[in-house]
Amino acid sequence: MLLLSRKKGEVIQIGKNVSIEIIDFGRGVVQVGVTAPKNIPVHRKEVFDAIVEQNKQASATTATISDIKKALSSVAKLTNPKE
Amino acid sequence: MANRITTPVTINSSQFGEVELQPDNIFYFENGMLGFENLNNFVLISDDDIVPFKWLMSVEEPDIMFPLISPWLVLPDYDPGKGIDIDKQVLFAVVTFNDGKGHITCNLKAPVILSSLELLGEQRILSFERYHVDHIINKLA
Repeated sequence: MLLLSRKKGEVIQIGKNVSIEIIDFGRGVVQVGVTAPKNIPVHRKEVFDAIVEQNKQASATTATISDIKKALSSVAKLTNPKE
Repeated sequence: MANRITTPVTINSSQFGEVELQPDNIFYFENGMLGFENLNNFVLISDDDIVPFKWLMSVEEPDIMFPLISPWLVLPDYDPGKGIDIDKQVLFAVVTFNDGKGHITCNLKAPVILSSLELLGEQRILSFERYHVDHIINKLA
């Protein structure tokens, strides 16, 4: 991993099109501004990881038809509690 | 990364057995699904038995299937924001039938977007904070 020290307002350039500016820091938080082309998604890593995890869980439990039917019957129960 | 499939292909799935797929039913995901970047060709499966859910099945690994639901069936006022053309693109949320806590959840934060004209697909992470990856649809009885 490359370690760089930057002051407030300084920028790290990654390749031609991506730059990261240190906007502010303090109280254990750093605020960074990321500039990147639209086709490069920029997200907090924990969000990305949570989606990967959710995809793995979704495709792993997949769900035989009977699982889905069971799930559907419980949905129906909640929609129509009187039945 | 796998290439786009352009000729009929026969797959073998433990759920459906041997099935021949036509290329005009196959959506190409250039970047795969998140965490499954090596799977790039998918088919959307509708089945009367599982309405309103559908499946997104990997052509490369037919036993990998993502259950999907329309996000508007979960949240009627779901708003994926600009950059999505609802007239030309169809959106789905990936469903987890058991999240380990007995809930059925769906991912409203990163919808699957299918463009039926170009037969392209992607899973896009929405940049705003209002939706979650594990939106609870319902409690399992």
